[in-house]
Amino acid sequence: MRYLPLTHQSPLTRLRRGQLAILSLLLPLLAGCAGNASSILGPSGPAAARINTLWWLMFAVGTVVYLVVMGYLLVGLFRRRGNEFDAAQSDEGTGVVVWGGAVIPAIILVGIFGATVFTMRALDEPAAAGELIIEVEGRQWWWDVRYPGFGFRTANEIHIPVGRPVAVKLLSQDVIHSFWVPQLHGKLDMVPGKVTEFWLQADEPGSYLGECAEFCGVQHAKMQFWVIAQEEDDFLQWVAQQQQPAPQPAAELVQQGQQVFLDSACVDCHAVEGTNATGNLGPDLTHLASRRTLAAGTIPNNRGNLAGWIVDPQSIKPGAKMPPAELTGAQLQALLAYLETLE
Amino acid sequence: MTTAAQEPSGTAPPVPGHIPTDKAWDELSTAEKMEQVWADPPGVLGWFMALQNDRIGARIMATAFFFFILGGINALLMRVQLASPENTFLTAQRYNELFTMHGSTMMYLFAVPMMEGFAILLMPLILGNREMPFPRLGVFSWFTFLLGGLLFYSSFIAGAVPDTGWFAYVPLSGLEFSPDIALDYWLLALGVAEVAAIAAGVEIILAILRMRAPGMSLSRLPVYAWAMLVMAVSILFAFTPLIVSSLLLELDRRLGTQFFNPDAGGSPLLWQHLFWIFGHPEVYIQFIPAAGIISMVVPVFSRRSLAGYTWVVIALVSTGFLSFGLWVHHMFTVGLPQISMAFFAAASMIIGIPAGIQVIAWITTIFTGRPVFKTAFLFVIGFLVTFVLGGITGIMVGAVPFDWQVHDSYFVVAHFHYVLIGGVTFPVFAGIYYWTPKFTGRLLDERLGKLHFWLFFIGFNVAFFPMHISGLLGMVRRVYTYPADLGVGALNLTSTIGAFTIALGVAVFIYNFLYSRRRGEPAGNNPWNGDTLEWAVGSPAPNYGFAHLPIVRSRHPLWEQETIDEEDDVLGDTTNTERMLQALSEWPLRWRAALITGAIDGKPVEVFRVAGPSIWPAVAGIALVTIFGSEVFALHWLTIVGIVVFVAALIGWHWPDKIPFTEKERAFEEEFNIPVRPNGSVTIGRWGMALAILLLGIALASFLFAYFYIRLENPIWPPDNIPVPDLLLPAIATALLLLAGFVMGWAVNNVRNGNIPRLRLGLLLVFLLGAAALAVIVWEYTQLPFTWELNAYASLFYALGGYMMLLLVVALGMNLFVQVWAWRGHYTELDNAAVHNSAWFVYAVAVFWVITFGILYLAPRLT
Repeated sequence: MRYLPLTHQSPLTRLRRGQLAILSLLLPLLAGCAGNASSILGPSGPAAARINTLWWLMFAVGTVVYLVVMGYLLVGLFRRRGNEFDAAQSDEGTGVVVWGGAVIPAIILVGIFGATVFTMRALDEPAAAGELIIEVEGRQWWWDVRYPGFGFRTANEIHIPVGRPVAVKLLSQDVIHSFWVPQLHGKLDMVPGKVTEFWLQADEPGSYLGECAEFCGVQHAKMQFWVIAQEEDDFLQWVAQQQQPAPQPAAELVQQGQQVFLDSACVDCHAVEGTNATGNLGPDLTHLASRRTLAAGTIPNNRGNLAGWIVDPQSIKPGAKMPPAELTGAQLQALLAYLETLE
Repeated sequence: MTTAAQEPSGTAPPVPGHIPTDKAWDELSTAEKMEQVWADPPGVLGWFMALQNDRIGARIMATAFFFFILGGINALLMRVQLASPENTFLTAQRYNELFTMHGSTMMYLFAVPMMEGFAILLMPLILGNREMPFPRLGVFSWFTFLLGGLLFYSSFIAGAVPDTGWFAYVPLSGLEFSPDIALDYWLLALGVAEVAAIAAGVEIILAILRMRAPGMSLSRLPVYAWAMLVMAVSILFAFTPLIVSSLLLELDRRLGTQFFNPDAGGSPLLWQHLFWIFGHPEVYIQFIPAAGIISMVVPVFSRRSLAGYTWVVIALVSTGFLSFGLWVHHMFTVGLPQISMAFFAAASMIIGIPAGIQVIAWITTIFTGRPVFKTAFLFVIGFLVTFVLGGITGIMVGAVPFDWQVHDSYFVVAHFHYVLIGGVTFPVFAGIYYWTPKFTGRLLDERLGKLHFWLFFIGFNVAFFPMHISGLLGMVRRVYTYPADLGVGALNLTSTIGAFTIALGVAVFIYNFLYSRRRGEPAGNNPWNGDTLEWAVGSPAPNYGFAHLPIVRSRHPLWEQETIDEEDDVLGDTTNTERMLQALSEWPLRWRAALITGAIDGKPVEVFRVAGPSIWPAVAGIALVTIFGSEVFALHWLTIVGIVVFVAALIGWHWPDKIPFTEKERAFEEEFNIPVRPNGSVTIGRWGMALAILLLGIALASFLFAYFYIRLENPIWPPDNIPVPDLLLPAIATALLLLAGFVMGWAVNNVRNGNIPRLRLGLLLVFLLGAAALAVIVWEYTQLPFTWELNAYASLFYALGGYMMLLLVVALGMNLFVQVWAWRGHYTELDNAAVHNSAWFVYAVAVFWVITFGILYLAPRLT
């Protein structure tokens, strides 16, 4: 968990006891790997919790069905048989086939379908979600995040207030992506020519991993993001900070760095509010230094990684659209100093 | 051919497929003559001409197995890459290529052809007949499949390997995001392999419906044949839309049409719909025949008949139907209305019921029988243990909200491998252990077989069970690597170990097969005490299958037919049938005679000549792959060469080689009151044409699906200020085509009455009317105020019109072919099947045009 700075709970602690008992069947395999920030089994919001309940219901029913059928098979294979058996003439069994194969499964399936529809209805978007709308556009291979109500843009990091639903509008202009934060909700595709919408809600502050779930090209694997759920006050503070344009550089090195930035090809793709850089093809960098990760949620944002990413992005994420920057050592140092002021 | 009339005279066997022998024809015994008549021709050329169903079936299966190995190697490389987090064994690009090739290979080049190969190999023996109805179509299918598959893999040599997954979603697979020829490889090479699948499907349908042993009514049909019938029909309905959608995407890529472009009124979701209308039934196209194999193996190794036969058959048929109503469950995450998702969730769950019926039927059979633990049966147990689990997770992913979570995660990867390896590959191995002795004459080694089974079974579960958990922990599919923080490293390493264990199992199998083929224990006719007809003939089975066709009086002829009783509730008094079959086992010995039976009751209705060896089906297959292959590289001149050769091959293929209708034939007809058709069967020809028309109709329906889908996406129709098309010219074309249909009917009536001059006149008129209609339609298109590049509406307008023009050209070509033979005096009042077939085609084209006319020209006026 090297870059999960906020409070982090093991998903296991959120499971109910009954669920734990069932889970213990799988524990040998789950042990040591349940404590991540993307487990469906560790929901942190009402939507994911509902789905989790549906899963455990189906898991319980499915396990019983499986054990019964396998028990029937095992007994059928190994039971003792008398000598009077006349194989070719045997015609028994149709009743078992009809009852065991059609009637009982039909009853079970009606139940599961009922639970499905019930869960679907429970997951309808709450009216309150409209109070905060976030637009997320999937790009090859990063996420453009916009807060239209607050008038700013960021990337690969979505902050939401805890305890209330937030509407998320999903779009894409290149290929199909899919937006997935396993601990908060299921996934929803971003289809060019269409706007899809659903909602997220986190019950507790924390960092939740988001992933692109639809294959979208060579770097589909490294297209992640983080949802940072914060208390209302912290969230508003973050919003206020993001609304600010970038500070004018004071120190000389930082001024040089800004010049390096503005003179380079960086500005073709990247924007920094308050400067002439208004590129729209890559992530907005106005508050780059406030973000926790680089390269679409895949590496921690620190000086070393930032330098590596600027100079040789292709070795970190081969096929990424960002070209390497040809900079002298001094230019790079200045640029890094500048970028680190963009908080 | 003339010598055939005066039997017995001359020394050279009168049929092309002869085995050279020192003995003169007259000195051969009846069995030797029969063997000669049915043998494939010798030599290199003979290899291209060979069309015996067991030869072609085995070739298709061997080719499918070859691709299975290639697909498996792709998988092993992927598993090495995923064995640890942030691994760098493969590049991202290479990994993406490998998962694309793996999925495409297993879905298109392994499972479906393997099942069709099984069917072509076994069906005539299981049905108690001598051949498949269209042996030449089998040859064509195999060459097309093999060369199409090799073309697909040649993308590795060209350095442009498809890399957008086996589903190739647009826009990623469109020209903008996949500019090189990799996707053209995917679309065209697989497209041509799909043609092979359809060709084989057509002949499987006909074999099962019309070429059974006397007395094999539908109620006595082995479950395996039912399963193959459902599979083959599903192939027609599923692969045709896939070919159409591949064509549309290729047109988008190459000609600039806009079917899938949302900026020009198209829709990326149209691709998903068309793809999954194929893609979901595809899964059942693999599972249904596998279930058929299980339903054969379970009773034999349980030593009792299958419990609930009728229910199992109903389950198979209803699975086939239902599988076409589920496709949207692959699209639960694209943002559809709740109500349609609930509908498709219900449909997805309902299909669990036929699966449940079959599983309980199999286990009940085992429970009430006396199991014999041979390797084939172990694979059945392995199948049950894994498939039931995959079925349960399948119901889970049908629950929409849960699918939102696990869709495109490793949970789904685990699920469908349980269904596809558990539900298809295990049965395939069961079938191979079960039936191989029939064709090699030797049993596969049981000790090696059991080793194979345990390695495969344990390896499978070790590889795929952990993937459920990887998925639940949030690991998405189609990723070349994953961060260590995800916590799935150990699970993935386990999966990799399992994958290599599977590979070891397959290696043991290959060794076993090669070893046992030469040194295995001799099998004898019926090593397992099977109940169905294939076990009645020798192992290896003779070329002609059954010299003396059996009479079927039971669902389990080899178990229940010891006492032959002359009354049969299907056939009635069988004395006459017995005598007829006896006569048929001694005559004709100079042409390949097979029996046609009633589709429902299995009563004999016709003795006909099955087509013999010919070089043209192979040439047609090679030419067809050349057409598609040259288009990958946009070598249009080579495409044109390919088309010319293809058409020439089709003509050669269908060139009549007439055998005179002699006294012998007439005497047989009179004695047994059954038509004898030494020049090909009218029945089979008609059914074949009907299926071809059905295929073209399904293609038209796919175009119309696209049309209406795009229509619903566009509020204004036609969009972009395109005027509603003018009615005059298309109305003239409609009138001309309807008139052509009527004249064709008149011509057919005349040939029936033996009025050949009127037949010639009618055919000529039909040609002129059809040509005039074509000219009018082409003229109409040259006058359009827009090109296909304008928007999706325009693209559809041209696509539908182009399709109709193509059909008209084919109809005219057929008409010419028939006309030439009419002028040469080939047709008589008895012998005119080709005229009938071309007439049906003309009617079909006229009807298709009326539909197209209504939709393109009339419907926009109504809104």
